[in-house]
Amino acid sequence: MAQKTEKKQKSRISPIFKRAIAHLFTKPATTKYPSAKPVLPPDTRGRLIYEIKDCNAIDFGSGPDFRLDIKVMRGSTCHVCERDCPAAAIKIVEVDGKQRPQIDLNKCIFCCQCVETCPRGAIKQTDLYELAATDKESLIMKPKYTQKDASP
Amino acid sequence: MGVNGDASFVANNGLHHEVFKVLLDADEKTGITAITGLDLGANIGVYYHVRTSKSFFTIKAEVPKENPRLKTLIDIHPGALFHELEVADLMGAVFEGNELKGHFVLSENWPEGVYPLRKDVDLSQVKFVSTPEHETNKSAEGREVKIIIGPQHPALLEPEKFSVTVDGETVTKVEPRIGYVHRGIEKSTESHTYLQNTYLVERVCGICNPCHAYSFVGTVEKILKLDIPERAQYLRVIALELNRLHSHLLVLGHAGLEIGYETVFQYFWRDREPIMDLIELTSGNRVYGSLMTVGGVRRDISQDHIPKIKSVIESLRGKLPFYRKIYNDEPTLRLRMKDVGTLSREDALRLSVIGPIARASGVDIDVRKDRPYAVYGEIPFKEIVYTDGDTWARMNVRMDEVEESLNILDYVLDHMPTGPIRIEAPRSVPPGEAVCTIEAPRGELLYYVRSNGTDIPERVKIRTPTFANIPSFLKTAIGESIADVPSNFVSLDPCFSCTDR
Repeated sequence: MAQKTEKKQKSRISPIFKRAIAHLFTKPATTKYPSAKPVLPPDTRGRLIYEIKDCNAIDFGSGPDFRLDIKVMRGSTCHVCERDCPAAAIKIVEVDGKQRPQIDLNKCIFCCQCVETCPRGAIKQTDLYELAATDKESLIMKPKYTQKDASP
Repeated sequence: MGVNGDASFVANNGLHHEVFKVLLDADEKTGITAITGLDLGANIGVYYHVRTSKSFFTIKAEVPKENPRLKTLIDIHPGALFHELEVADLMGAVFEGNELKGHFVLSENWPEGVYPLRKDVDLSQVKFVSTPEHETNKSAEGREVKIIIGPQHPALLEPEKFSVTVDGETVTKVEPRIGYVHRGIEKSTESHTYLQNTYLVERVCGICNPCHAYSFVGTVEKILKLDIPERAQYLRVIALELNRLHSHLLVLGHAGLEIGYETVFQYFWRDREPIMDLIELTSGNRVYGSLMTVGGVRRDISQDHIPKIKSVIESLRGKLPFYRKIYNDEPTLRLRMKDVGTLSREDALRLSVIGPIARASGVDIDVRKDRPYAVYGEIPFKEIVYTDGDTWARMNVRMDEVEESLNILDYVLDHMPTGPIRIEAPRSVPPGEAVCTIEAPRGELLYYVRSNGTDIPERVKIRTPTFANIPSFLKTAIGESIADVPSNFVSLDPCFSCTDR
């Protein structure tokens, strides 16, 4: 009987004690972020990259998975990424006499609608998420960017 | 032109009042879900979206724009108060018996007589008036003291103002002022395409963003009469239930923080983290999933991910008994939550309260059960109803719903059909209108979309759950101690970004 009450008393104090001891040997719930980078799931939506060689306004409309029901004339400038961007982050600017999209990552909401819309697959998504910069200008992806330039 | 999927009828010349009275007498669970103000050219349309036990319909009233007066409903149903004031502020309808003084949602320096949701208003010509003097803490007549909680206050994480009048320590009056985070999203939808709006409406609320996206695409799909593939519906349910899990775990922890029990807060938020990881895994982003699109969902769950999702569900289920024990047995939590902010069943019905707050007061309304959407009709789950009506019951409703969500996720993952996840949808929507209501974590969420044949909607009405639930706080805070205001308030799971839009 005496043993039983002792056991009962022991179990009454033990939850906190057990938990405190257990926490000494368990891994912390937090991660050491800058030194240990998290493993991201596949296809996380991060910074966009843009390949100028794939963006071709002249051949517009010949892509195999072109699913848009818009009326576009062949030979005209595509502009669908600019039209679909919900945050108005994509602006068409002139580069070497051709019209190309310029992506402003300051405005980008990382929905990757442009990736889906682009009939030529010129805009791609990456899982780069460390976009902090001291200069807003540096986050505007000028159309001269290539994949090589964009990778860190 | 009828509201798709739901009945609607016209009730002009004050008939809406009679119709609503008949409904109220016939069915005690009749309540106002929302009131939409519409600019119909020469007239102003005031559409009452009414729910009863099992049905949902719209009572349409029209008043001329020159004299937009109609009878208020607050004399028979006080729950209509906020909805009427909002229409009065943004659309300029005048509800006789419930006149708006100053502004309700718009900022104080917005000029009188300019109604932003009317089509003929030129927003570039709006001249702001000078802001009236700010209210300060001051003694009212006699013993009463007015204490201003907000817009910046440690107990409120988002800006909103509640002027609480206290007599000693007892609250005698609460005056709300919402609109500090009004971003004009409803107006903004009228200048974006449907595709862009799918992402825009997600930004109404960070916590329940898939619910907003689902409701919006749901209305558009109703107008387009699209048949969504079954796998897409299942994937949508996964997104919605993961969202409910993380939202409920958030508020269960946040309630601990508000009453000064930070261990509870840390524990719940630690266990919320794996759910956030699942959201990232299934949608591609931790917070804004951007999963829903008109015609289906944007990404599939691969078969390799299902064991990982299941293991997270199992580990969370294993932790629930511990949390349940904390909320049931912990004397600190019981003292701060039991019999605090008690809302009776009659008041809950009268004030048109929804979601976990209504279910804690014994009103069994859950859109998932009453009017099943997506594939909720096929999924077995329990509707959680408590009858205590206090803060403790509201928290326990959420605790039980966490478990139900885990069961739903298990069922959905086991029964997910194969097939396409998306069908092609046109970008232009034929003229029409539709309503979609869903059960967001905080309660019933309503979207009303009116299209005009182009790729830009004519009107999008958003009625968020917190907007409908704030009146319950104004009722329950009175007569209680000022120290109970935070714990009472957090039990609503308030989201002011939602409320103001």
